Amino acid sequence: MSALPLQITGLTKHYADKTVLAGVDIALANGEVLCILGPNGAGKTTLISIILGLVKADSGEVRLFGQLQTGTARNTALRQKLGVMMQIGSLSANLTVSEQCDLFSSYYQNGHNATELINLAGLDHHANQRFGRLSGGQKQRLLFALALAGKPQLVFLDEPTLGMDVEARRSLWQQVRQLKQQGVAVVLTTHYLEEAEQLADRILVLNNGQIIAQGSPAQLKAMTAYKFIQCCSTLDDVQLTALPAVQQLTRLSHSVVLQSNQVEQTLRALLAQDSHVTDIEVRPVALEQAFLQLTQSTTAKER
Amino acid sequence: MSTLRIYKKEAWYDLISVWRTPGFVLPALAFPLMFYLFFGVVFSAGGNATYLLVSYGCFGIMGPAMFNFAMNIASDRAHGWLTLKRLSPMPVGAYLLAKLVTSLVFALVIILLLFSVAALFANVRLHTGQWLILAGLLLAGTLPFALIGLILGLTLSDKAAPGVVNLLYLPMAFLSGLWLPVTMLPQALQQLAWLWPSFHLSQLGLKVIGADLGFASAWHLGILLGQSVLLALQARRLFNRMTS
Repeated sequence: MSALPLQITGLTKHYADKTVLAGVDIALANGEVLCILGPNGAGKTTLISIILGLVKADSGEVRLFGQLQTGTARNTALRQKLGVMMQIGSLSANLTVSEQCDLFSSYYQNGHNATELINLAGLDHHANQRFGRLSGGQKQRLLFALALAGKPQLVFLDEPTLGMDVEARRSLWQQVRQLKQQGVAVVLTTHYLEEAEQLADRILVLNNGQIIAQGSPAQLKAMTAYKFIQCCSTLDDVQLTALPAVQQLTRLSHSVVLQSNQVEQTLRALLAQDSHVTDIEVRPVALEQAFLQLTQSTTAKER
Repeated sequence: MSTLRIYKKEAWYDLISVWRTPGFVLPALAFPLMFYLFFGVVFSAGGNATYLLVSYGCFGIMGPAMFNFAMNIASDRAHGWLTLKRLSPMPVGAYLLAKLVTSLVFALVIILLLFSVAALFANVRLHTGQWLILAGLLLAGTLPFALIGLILGLTLSDKAAPGVVNLLYLPMAFLSGLWLPVTMLPQALQQLAWLWPSFHLSQLGLKVIGADLGFASAWHLGILLGQSVLLALQARRLFNRMTS
């Protein structure tokens, strides 16, 4: 039995008296795409840095292909199997695309050659252009190609489509799907929920250093299966909250927003109790809101 | 051998990347040459062209070594390029050696330029052996300055690096007697000069032309080696502690 590409158990990390990671467990199989979502400061970057051995954890362990990740110790054999695209990644501005590809491909024993990398980046027409003169999206594409330089079995992509236009983003998604088909395991952080919905087998929501939810995109949506009812009602807050299936109430200047997991029941009761209710509007929840809801509710609980 | 190939490519691409930075190349080559032309050739106060060849030679090799390491490593750190490389199977040695090779190439160009000006326009006459020893000494002498640059590059932000290097480079050159003979400095500063690697390097160079202060070479060599070892140890400590 071959070891999992990535296995994390009980990872914790504190900076001074701030808890950045509070016991994170992750197991990732070959050919699986894991999306890590979370607001800024959720611990995403720290988590990736610990997995890659750039930062030491306080406790817990990270295993890559069964091998223990021991701090920043250099394990070259392991690095042959990894591909990394960091959020802050900029190459030497003075080297051309083909020079960067030539240099990076020399690091790997069985990787792509420079021509293949230029092709992967889709920069055939810009091969002799210096990195500093590429557009933001082109830079991202080159960095993505370099992450694949060693034909890796495990790829880390930190906000890979930042600054890309729609077309470039879709083409990168296509490439990630191809990696998945080849059995490559992918860990991806993103702010774009559409990206997570499109690519992820599993989404992991990180907030305040804890995994507050995980599952397939569909499961996450189901976990937050509610709708919003906005209306102008003469009922007071207590009466509105007492309506069936109402989970939460938000007062706006002239209207009120009810969150319900059984919209029909709530509406029937509302109409029965308040004959003057006007401007009723029902809205479904987007994954984006589901995600915000998840992170906000855990933050609120802590306060 | 694929490892050897990585070392070669890394060195080659580091060199051309630096070579394509006019803001680095021009001052690195022009300053020592200009100073030497001014003070050693045009306004030469009789017979000090040979002395100044040694001191501006030291001044010339210090700059590129410190600037190349400090500025480029600080910038590679700031832009995440170094992190990407450290996460790749690239041997760290290839990265550092490439920067040293670039510094040595610049040192060699500066040495050749200064020697040519000295021989052609300042009428400096030395034996072949003296030219060669002097050139070898200046090349080997880049090491402690490269290590100082490495430490600064690992410590400073990319914005702070150039300023701090200048703040160290110029006073250190002056206090080591590279612009004025160290004997013209106040007594206290003359004693302080023993702290600077550039003082010991220039004394070794001046010994080749018989113009040194007369201390045994072993002192200067020993101190330079000791300083290099301490700097290397500190650089290694910083490198291993680096998180991003």
